[in-house]
Amino acid sequence: MSMTAGTGERTHAPRPRRPRGELPYIGLAIPGRLTFRVWQRNRDVFFQLWRAELLPPLLEPLVTLLGLGLGLGAFVQLGGDIEYVQFLAPGILVAFPMFVATFEALYGAYFRMTQHGTYDAIAATPVRPEEIVAGEIAWAASRMTLNTALIALVLLVLTPWLDLVGSPLIIFTIPIAFVTGVLIGSIGIAFTSRARSVSQLSYFFSLFILPMFWFSGGFFPIDELPGWAGTVAWFFPLTHAVDLSRALVTGDVYAGLIVNMLWLILAAIPAFWLGLAAMKQRIVK
Amino acid sequence: MRKGSTEGVQAAGTADGSPGTTTQGSSRTATPREQAPLIIEARGLVKRYGDFTAVAGIDFEVPRGEFFGLLGPNGAGKSSTIRMVSGVLPISGGELYVGGYDVHYQDREVKRLLGIVPQDDNLDQDLTVRRNLEVYARYYDIPKKVAAERIEEALELMQLEDWGGAQIDNLSGGMKRRLVIARALINDPDLLILDEPTTGLDPQARHLVWRKLRLLRERGVTILLTTHYMDEAEILCDRLIIMDRGQNIAEGNPRDLITRHVGREVLEVHPLPEERAAVLRDLEENVGESGRIETVEDVIYALGVTEEHHRRVEGLIADPYRVNFRRANLEDVFLSLTGRGLVE
Ligand SMILES: Nc1ncnc2c1ncn2[C@@H]1O[C@H](COP(=O)(O)OP(=O)(O)O)[C@@H](O)[C@H]1O
Ligand SMILES: [Mg+2]
Repeated sequence: MSMTAGTGERTHAPRPRRPRGELPYIGLAIPGRLTFRVWQRNRDVFFQLWRAELLPPLLEPLVTLLGLGLGLGAFVQLGGDIEYVQFLAPGILVAFPMFVATFEALYGAYFRMTQHGTYDAIAATPVRPEEIVAGEIAWAASRMTLNTALIALVLLVLTPWLDLVGSPLIIFTIPIAFVTGVLIGSIGIAFTSRARSVSQLSYFFSLFILPMFWFSGGFFPIDELPGWAGTVAWFFPLTHAVDLSRALVTGDVYAGLIVNMLWLILAAIPAFWLGLAAMKQRIVK
Repeated sequence: MRKGSTEGVQAAGTADGSPGTTTQGSSRTATPREQAPLIIEARGLVKRYGDFTAVAGIDFEVPRGEFFGLLGPNGAGKSSTIRMVSGVLPISGGELYVGGYDVHYQDREVKRLLGIVPQDDNLDQDLTVRRNLEVYARYYDIPKKVAAERIEEALELMQLEDWGGAQIDNLSGGMKRRLVIARALINDPDLLILDEPTTGLDPQARHLVWRKLRLLRERGVTILLTTHYMDEAEILCDRLIIMDRGQNIAEGNPRDLITRHVGREVLEVHPLPEERAAVLRDLEENVGESGRIETVEDVIYALGVTEEHHRRVEGLIADPYRVNFRRANLEDVFLSLTGRGLVE
């Protein structure tokens, strides 16, 4: 590094002790308390525009659930006595909220980073670059969580007619959504940090998010797919979120879910770190 | 790598007094903020972008209470310099202390002391005027009540009190600039840093910003400003450095700089193409050792000349409006030092 720490022969001001975990440009600092300030900023903007921000992401899953579930469902035969709309519900509960987290980490973050100069404005305050990124990821995850919670409510409301929710364990899809949101948001932010134009963001969406959306067992069982496709699907975060969601919504819990849970958490940690490092590099030019 | 100067090591009071062994941090307990009379100390400050050196080892010091300027053409390295001072751009070499804190290691402490007005307005488009300030105050952990008071004060100071509920899109360029300045005042900064605060503003808006900046100086705010307008630098700054291609090429009070490098008056001639040769010949023959002749595009500048030269040249130019014998300014200083105009 550029400073010759330890050999300071200064008379003007005291040579400061190098504060622990406070090395701004060497490696990464652990995001601290001010992360929350960035999250708060996004929350405030969201609540200014909540009608536009909240309703479409809720209508979409609802229309899909009823359209596919009841419409297409009339032609679908699943093993056992389960209706297609019941099969669909746990998938929709996490798959659509994943879109929301993705959009926040891709387009939302991109515009704040470039056009709006939001990151630069915040970086000039005591908020660290790491805290900006962590706040953004936390926000993406929060939006996913909120949407999962709201869709869960809708599923509960529809349950007397469609028998969608079989267990109070559905409440635990909320933390699952948060962990999945951190994971997807982190990967999204890392990708956004490399993007040079908005149009590049759609690559991430088309090549990663969209295949994951369809092939994670939310819309049809992936055991029916050829072996290699199942292997690919195992590497999709959403596959594990859907497995968990299905178990929690139906109440059919089994020991293997521990693997899904661990998979999500263990993937989220390095992804979060990657998102911090990649986006920090873009912020600190 | 540049090291700190060794003179005065003894004064630092190390146990054995030998250079190079000063214990860092040592036993001092007072906070740097109260101790440092200099708000900025930069020594051998360097910024490289890959192979390109944007700031090539500049030194400057800014005492508290001063209105200090960085004047230079586009690309001189002004923004790079102040972004390093602001703690947002890593430094590539040299030493930089702001408020006594080492910017390299204590960026957060430094940023608490600063109010930043960046070159491009980066107001939060998604929030109203007042909400912008509220959200910004939160980044500094300013308690809500204190923030509310400061926000009203800053809005009033910047003549935006009627615009609190407005969307950012509905503000004029000058109002946006004033709002960015208001935002920079929210944490009651020790040092206000402005990067080209009036670039792109119409003359009226510009004068209003100047008036506000002078008002702030009267209130005792230390200000660091960059500009490529020599009139702005001359009107506002107590002291400035002129930068060119990453170098500090002159430093001092605007008046002194002008007297030292140019003299009192300048003869500026805009000859027609057919008159040019004659004017140049005449000046070259008659301007002695003390004077200088510079040309920028089709304009001829003669520095260190007298009324007599003026009269001689007037005789060679048909249109009297093409000859201007005037007081020297900072533009002439830059011209005299580099042979080029300020605005590139
Ligand atoms: N992020 C960057 N990457 C590469 N070169 C840069 C970057 N920022 C500035 N420069 C270059 O450094 C030089 C100084 O730029 P800058 O500090 O913005 O000057 P000024 O503010 O005086 O116009 C310019 O030549 C500019 O092109
Ligand atoms: Mg600049």
